[in-house]
Amino acid sequence: MRKGVAVLGSLLALGLCLALPKLVSSYRLLTYTRFLLLALTAQGWNFIGGYTGYAAFGNVAYFGIGAYTTGLLMLGRWHVPFFPALAAGALVSGAVAILLGLPILRLKGHYFAIATLGVAEALAQVADNWDSVTEGSTGIDLPIRSDGEFFYYTALGFVILGVLCTAWFSRSKLGYGCVAIREDQDAARMLGIDTTLYKGLAYALSAVFAAVAGGITAYQNVHVTPGDFFQIDYTLEMIIATIIGGAGTVAGPVLGAAIYQLLSTYVWGRFLELHPTVLGLIIVLFIVFLPRGLMTVVGRRRATGERRFRASDLLANVRAHRVT
Amino acid sequence: MSSGELGQIVVNAVLLSGILALVALGFSLVWGIMNIVNLAHGAFIVLGAYVTFFLHELLHIDPFLSIPVSMLVLFTLGWILQRGLVNQVIRAPLLATFLLTFGLELLIVNLINFFFKADLRSVTTGYSGAGLTLGPARIPYARLGALAVSMVLVAALAWFLKSTRTGRAIRATGMDIDAARLTGVKVAAVYASTFAIGAAMAGAAGSLLSMIVPFDPNLGGTYTQRAFAICVLGGLGNVANVVLGAAVYAFVDVFVGASWPSLSRAVTFAILVILLIFRPQGIAGKPA
Repeated sequence: MRKGVAVLGSLLALGLCLALPKLVSSYRLLTYTRFLLLALTAQGWNFIGGYTGYAAFGNVAYFGIGAYTTGLLMLGRWHVPFFPALAAGALVSGAVAILLGLPILRLKGHYFAIATLGVAEALAQVADNWDSVTEGSTGIDLPIRSDGEFFYYTALGFVILGVLCTAWFSRSKLGYGCVAIREDQDAARMLGIDTTLYKGLAYALSAVFAAVAGGITAYQNVHVTPGDFFQIDYTLEMIIATIIGGAGTVAGPVLGAAIYQLLSTYVWGRFLELHPTVLGLIIVLFIVFLPRGLMTVVGRRRATGERRFRASDLLANVRAHRVT
Repeated sequence: MSSGELGQIVVNAVLLSGILALVALGFSLVWGIMNIVNLAHGAFIVLGAYVTFFLHELLHIDPFLSIPVSMLVLFTLGWILQRGLVNQVIRAPLLATFLLTFGLELLIVNLINFFFKADLRSVTTGYSGAGLTLGPARIPYARLGALAVSMVLVAALAWFLKSTRTGRAIRATGMDIDAARLTGVKVAAVYASTFAIGAAMAGAAGSLLSMIVPFDPNLGGTYTQRAFAICVLGGLGNVANVVLGAAVYAFVDVFVGASWPSLSRAVTFAILVILLIFRPQGIAGKPA
């Protein structure tokens, strides 16, 4: 019975998503597309940050690599069509992630975070200075395609693919291995899990998702510059979205991205000048009251039978994590 | 690179390392004791700079004399933020405190931007342009004074942590929180004072920076990153490591900046990442 309701709900949501471009203005559709692209990067980050527990702070590097590879292949002498170029960008990103991941995935905690941040910073400067390929800070211009629905449906398709992929991942040997690494890496190795391989695969998977989002964004924005496509804000947004929704859950990144985009758009409209203040406040409140994300509110009913989430649980969250 | 330029580069590196040591020390204290990477550290630096700026602009107080005031202001703010917010999530997963302090940084910097505008400001005194000449190199008095104040504060903190009761309680809590609690240390109060001392150090660094570089509300972010890099270089643990890390970082930064200006950040970060891979415990740190 409950399962039937869930299936029906998903079908309704899917139908609504498919019909959306016919219902809203093209400007609104842009906002929804941005939400889907954010969800895609968050889904990617969820593999390494959520399931494997590695605080990757440089995923924007793969967003940028995806954007540049897709763009450069579509231009100049090759004139590759969009989807093959996008796939190539994803492959290049995944390969770079494996190569970089081998040394830096040996680091733990804060050290891993800063190493990934460093890699992203370094790649941004490389893109800025490698004039013969990337045209430096001037950037490259892709063929123009001003078809909002195309980008919306492309992004929607990949997000649905991402949900299926995450659902598979969370039930696969790979996923269980990554969770084991998150909980206790040494114990995981004792159980015979090839930790280097598993971490590398999770990292590469997150890079592939970021690259696809980057490629789509590049095609949509037409103009690609290092300043725009390597900014740390993208990394932060995907992390915040995942945390708000619930790291290490299937639906968390999409839910979090929706909430983040909703709040961000609303706040932009209302408090233009104080936008970062309000955003900062939202992050602080979420972290204090729901450090494990919204999915703890939604998922609780199934875990503990009939008990619904109560407001008092917010305070219980605080009580559980404070030091007195 | 002529020997004159080289001399100036060395002088600049030495002068820079003092303030960097002060910045990194507060950061490393909070990281080492509470396991919090405080991304709002840079925002505290900016607040310190504004305290000195307004005391000088409105009341004509010499910037060196306003350092205690900005330290007191930041100490109080740090205490309140720790008790009110940071302490509530301190046992949550690592990423929670990371994002919490990131949110705080966003909030503080944007509020400063909103109230004081993004104008580039600087504190200019009668002796701002003056300096002494040492061979081919010039040493401005303000920078020399900043170096002296930094060294005094670093030494004072080292003495405080080593020799006072509170300092020992802080170190004990950092080593083993449960054992410290068993011996009667009030852990929550220790955490609050640790965070507050870190903020006060940032405030002092901000006051000093306001005299030697023009600043705007976004000054802090680069200093948070530098503090992080220095802690990684030196390793956490004791004051001497941080000072050593700051000196190494200052030299690398100044030399790379003079040789490859457009790639300076890439080179600095590349060195950092390579170092992390081969010596994750830092240059001076002991193997874990």
